[in-house]
Amino acid sequence: MSTRPPTLREKRRYLLVQIEPAGTIIDQKDLYYTVSDATTSLWGDVVAAVITSAVVASEGQYVIIRCQRGTEQDLSIALSTITTCCDIPIALRMVAASGTIESLRERIRTVKTPGPGSISPRECTFDKKMFQINRCDGQKVDVIEKGFKNTNRLFLTREDMEEL
Amino acid sequence: MKITDACVYPYPYGDSSVRRMALEAKALGFDCLVAADTPSGEFYGIEIHSGILIRDTGVRDLISRIKRERNHEAVVSVQAGDNGFNRSVINLKGVHILRGLHSADKNAFDHVAAKMAADNGVAIDLDLSPLISGRGFTRQRAMHRYRDILVLKRRYEFPITISSHARSILEMRAVREITGLCSLIGMDIPDVEKAFFGVDIITTPPNPAVKVIV
Repeated sequence: MSTRPPTLREKRRYLLVQIEPAGTIIDQKDLYYTVSDATTSLWGDVVAAVITSAVVASEGQYVIIRCQRGTEQDLSIALSTITTCCDIPIALRMVAASGTIESLRERIRTVKTPGPGSISPRECTFDKKMFQINRCDGQKVDVIEKGFKNTNRLFLTREDMEEL
Repeated sequence: MKITDACVYPYPYGDSSVRRMALEAKALGFDCLVAADTPSGEFYGIEIHSGILIRDTGVRDLISRIKRERNHEAVVSVQAGDNGFNRSVINLKGVHILRGLHSADKNAFDHVAAKMAADNGVAIDLDLSPLISGRGFTRQRAMHRYRDILVLKRRYEFPITISSHARSILEMRAVREITGLCSLIGMDIPDVEKAFFGVDIITTPPNPAVKVIV
């Protein structure tokens, strides 16, 4: 089958989306199903078929999602209704939209990638409980409670820890 | 006028500290947050209003509670009940916001209550959490109720506030995302902007009818 000439091809747009919390490992296929589910749930099968969303690339905490040109707004609204992926709480924050994947890749390179950060103790106390520091980026500190029963992640700042 | 999320639940109700929520709110484009049971303050350039949410009480208990809170400069909001309760709440001095109409009775907020809300400067809150995390019937019912409230709002011009009811930074949404979600219930951009300024409108004392010029 020969390729269609450019004027007859479907016009597509690509959204650069950041996954929060940083460091969450999400399978590209699972994310595709989550996005598809959210789109269908919000807009129904008819509009979801027009949007034709697909997760086309994943780089660290960023993913690139494809859609039809003109449906970016519909897709971004659907993305804002995503709260979990495979029972992992996440948030998808739209960063940019473009007509090419390459320009979004360039954008990822220019955005400062948060490093592991430096906090001397790897354990801390907050609200009289012991926590293990999971991630530290600038002012942001994510901690996980030590123990077997409750291992929920808490989102704090350096000031919260200094105050105690 | 400040872009405000009219209700968030920081730690211990949620999993994020009020400072972290302020940091996130700044990145998401907000100027101000109303945080439940948290002292007022300012973190990372974001103003935090103390919020008091009263629920599951009768009118008599509500009056005494509001009297106690009157001097604290907190944003007082009351969970909606049936129509009679809502009318009583709207008439009470010291109540700023009536919340949770999406889960109240179908006739909980009618044109009489709408007119009273406009006269008394009580805001009606649009809780976006059923639109964000709800699916199917829950979301459809919330959208239907909000559309109905907006019809009354256009007629009687009572204040509206928008809240995410976020218990985590992951449940907070950007100003642009909220504008998109509000478009689902028929709000255009000027409507959303006005709703973001709703907390400012209800907490600013009205201009006195008589000005004393010395």
